[in-house]
Amino acid sequence: MSERILDCLGEACPIPLIRTQKALVDLAVGDVLVVQVDHSCAVKNVPEWASKVGHNYEVDEIDDGQWEIVIEKVH
Amino acid sequence: MTPDSELSRGPGPAATPPAIAVDQGGRVRLRERETYKTLFVNPWTYTTGAVVLALLNVVLLLATGKAWGVTTSLTYWGAWAWRWLGGQPQHWRYFAEIKPAFNRPGFDFLADAGSLTNVGIVLGALLAALLANQFRVKKLKAKRQIVAAVAGGLLMGFGARLAFGCNIGAMFTAIPALSLHGWVFLVSIFAGAAVGSRLLLRYFV
Repeated sequence: MSERILDCLGEACPIPLIRTQKALVDLAVGDVLVVQVDHSCAVKNVPEWASKVGHNYEVDEIDDGQWEIVIEKVH
Repeated sequence: MTPDSELSRGPGPAATPPAIAVDQGGRVRLRERETYKTLFVNPWTYTTGAVVLALLNVVLLLATGKAWGVTTSLTYWGAWAWRWLGGQPQHWRYFAEIKPAFNRPGFDFLADAGSLTNVGIVLGALLAALLANQFRVKKLKAKRQIVAAVAGGLLMGFGARLAFGCNIGAMFTAIPALSLHGWVFLVSIFAGAAVGSRLLLRYFV
């Protein structure tokens, strides 16, 4: 199991979501992807997508207007 | 590495919610209160946003006699800037035939409801970011972002003039007013967005 950081700081929707979807394809089941974002919509649509397709996730507020979305690939 | 159990599945709450901050009197801080979070921090649902926007548009129409629009006023701003630089936009056919309000005596920034609501959008967005504690000065990461912003802005501005409005004036306001051009705009913007999405996936992801 490994952890990968995906830097999406400064990127607006829908780029963080599409990059997250692409990055997860390359990960093995059980791996963790940490998506760094500073776009508030991404904190809504990335977790919504993760929830819809059944991956575990957690959103951490790192700073004012900056978050890390931690996604564990489940399948 | 985070153990599996700490990641929540689906929309449910995290397994270990953060401790609620309290002030010295032991009361829950304003920012931590659920009502505050629902109103100012968490995103509203699309339905809530749509209903609030529709109601505000009705109020705007009643108050000013004109429903909401954005880009016509941006055109005025550009024309005023051009006039300040020595140009003579008052002779343009666009203002003579399509937007005669521009040449009405006494018409200026403060007399144009659209100019004021445009400033309101920016100030309101700032206020919303501050209330949510999400204000942040973002760095530009790539020159590509500048190129995209400038090119996108020019294309959208030019398109909005050709269409006599943007997705606010020519769609959000036009369709409830039962204007056919709103529906033409709606179909066209879907076609444009389909092409734009392809370009986005190809050059910016």
